[in-house]
Amino acid sequence: MDTNTAGNYSSPARGRYSRNASNLTFDARVARLNRIANTMRQNVVDMVYTAQSGHIGGALSAADFVTALYFDLMNIDPANPHWEDRDRFVLSKGHACPIWYSALALRGYFPESELKTLRKNGSRLQGHPIATYLPGLDASTGSLGLGFAQAVGIAMEGKLLKKKDYKVFAVLGDGELDEGVIWEASLAAAKYKLDNLVAIVDMNNLQLDGTIDEVMPIEPVDAKFRAFGFEVMTMDGHDMADVLTTLTKARNARAGKPICILANTVKGKGVNFMEHQLDWHGKAPNDEQYKKACDELQACKELEGVES
Amino acid sequence: MNLAPAKTPTRRAFAGRMTERGETNKDFVVFESDLAKSTHSYLFKEKYPERYFNMGIAEIGTVSAAAGMAAEGRSVIVCGYGVFITMRAVEAIRSFICYPHLNVKFLSSHGGLTAAIDGVTHQSTEDIAFMTTIPQMKVLVPADTAAASAAFDIALDTPGPVFTRLMRDPMFELYDANEEFHLGGSKIVRKGKDVTIATYGDMVFQSLAAADELAKKGIDAEVIDFYSLKPWDQATLGESLKKTQALVVAENHQKRNGFGYEAAVWALQNAPVPTTLIGLEDTFAESGSYQKTLDKFGLSGAAIAEKAAATVAKKR
Repeated sequence: MDTNTAGNYSSPARGRYSRNASNLTFDARVARLNRIANTMRQNVVDMVYTAQSGHIGGALSAADFVTALYFDLMNIDPANPHWEDRDRFVLSKGHACPIWYSALALRGYFPESELKTLRKNGSRLQGHPIATYLPGLDASTGSLGLGFAQAVGIAMEGKLLKKKDYKVFAVLGDGELDEGVIWEASLAAAKYKLDNLVAIVDMNNLQLDGTIDEVMPIEPVDAKFRAFGFEVMTMDGHDMADVLTTLTKARNARAGKPICILANTVKGKGVNFMEHQLDWHGKAPNDEQYKKACDELQACKELEGVES
Repeated sequence: MNLAPAKTPTRRAFAGRMTERGETNKDFVVFESDLAKSTHSYLFKEKYPERYFNMGIAEIGTVSAAAGMAAEGRSVIVCGYGVFITMRAVEAIRSFICYPHLNVKFLSSHGGLTAAIDGVTHQSTEDIAFMTTIPQMKVLVPADTAAASAAFDIALDTPGPVFTRLMRDPMFELYDANEEFHLGGSKIVRKGKDVTIATYGDMVFQSLAAADELAKKGIDAEVIDFYSLKPWDQATLGESLKKTQALVVAENHQKRNGFGYEAAVWALQNAPVPTTLIGLEDTFAESGSYQKTLDKFGLSGAAIAEKAAATVAKKR
């Protein structure tokens, strides 16, 4: 098992996967992350199937870069979820929380068995993520736009008040960019030169009622964020090598301005019959669909090998 | 009513105390949405610019960023006008400040028709309904500058979200500077035996004027200042009603879902007496001077006196 290098804390919390050891080659890191992303996707499908409710498509589109952050790049310590120097993560598109819960469970913030309590009474895994319920959640989200604005406040605290080096990663949906508060928060991010803030936009091109273009055309997103004072990068959100390279660049940047990464993704990625399908925004698979999805993810896993 | 006119409004007193506390307490910060000269948060900015953030004319972004900072353990005072804070940003307050019980405190100016002159867009006449309805939120409405200064201390020193409604214009001075206030407290500002007038904020003064009118008719009114609206002092109301057997609630707010609804329902369940509620009658007000607008919409001392007398008459 890898060693967690974050902080001087002992780490009794042990997940199935920990942060990457620095001695792996780049290619080995990519291969390892791809395997973990497969497990993440399996968890998402399991959780939404068990709950018979939840948002599967937008969780799957975010799976690869969330995996890269939690299992390689972010400086966090599951044994000390409130460690002051940790990197922060805010899933502003909070409805995709099965992917967040999966990452936290696999890193050992809470038992994996708890994943199946999603959306049930008494569960710490609320339908949309509530920070006071579950260790590892840096902000409560679920109302679109407001997660990103909270991330701006968290970044202000880090940069301007605590004067710490931690990064704040916020994941936004492309449909979420319709929310006016995204742009209010962006103005503030630029004003306060929050180069510790990395916004990742999951550009899966589908929102609840249709394609981005049908519902509310938002392009050109890159030019918009650039005009709002962001350093803008793009990546293929499902090419793990590209994801790792781009996120590393963003993490190390000291641009004097906030960073926005446009991640080109596919809604439902990893389960063929869900890909690009509007229908899978907020639908739970039935027994037959569940089996089909599991078979596909299992075949994919066998192809890539199981982590020892 | 023989009270000294106030030199400054309660918004100024609250911001002044905020600035005083900032000298020794360096742990809280202030967020503003481009109303510093009006909310008087500029007083804090002048002394502690590194702890002051003007987030622009963007209330939802301001409140949400404050939530993010508070989630990191910081206490944040958000300054603004009641209409914008309590309605434009209400969802961020509910879901991301009250639900996680974060230390965000609101300096909410232009409460009720104290902003009468500015017109309906700037009159906060539903704020108490919104704020008292949200679980975990606490609500204060100081009547004068001493109470406003104390309200800041209560807000800062009470864990979790606290909303303080403040006034645009100076009213009167009611309390000594060293008067003590506490969360859930109230003040009997005039003792009486015939009718209880439960009120808060600027309406304390209208109610005291009403009590003077009533005295001329031989009706002895008790006036209680419920400066803490949530939680509120049920014991004191209960004691008063036991004695007076008549209740009038007077507030500068919509009658519907205001403090009157809260107090009347409590009285109905615990000490039913003839009751009259005074507030805006499911209507918007309009521009005008403060007192003339109160007169027009039935919130003046004279209107309270008339309704209180009618309520007393129902006792027999």
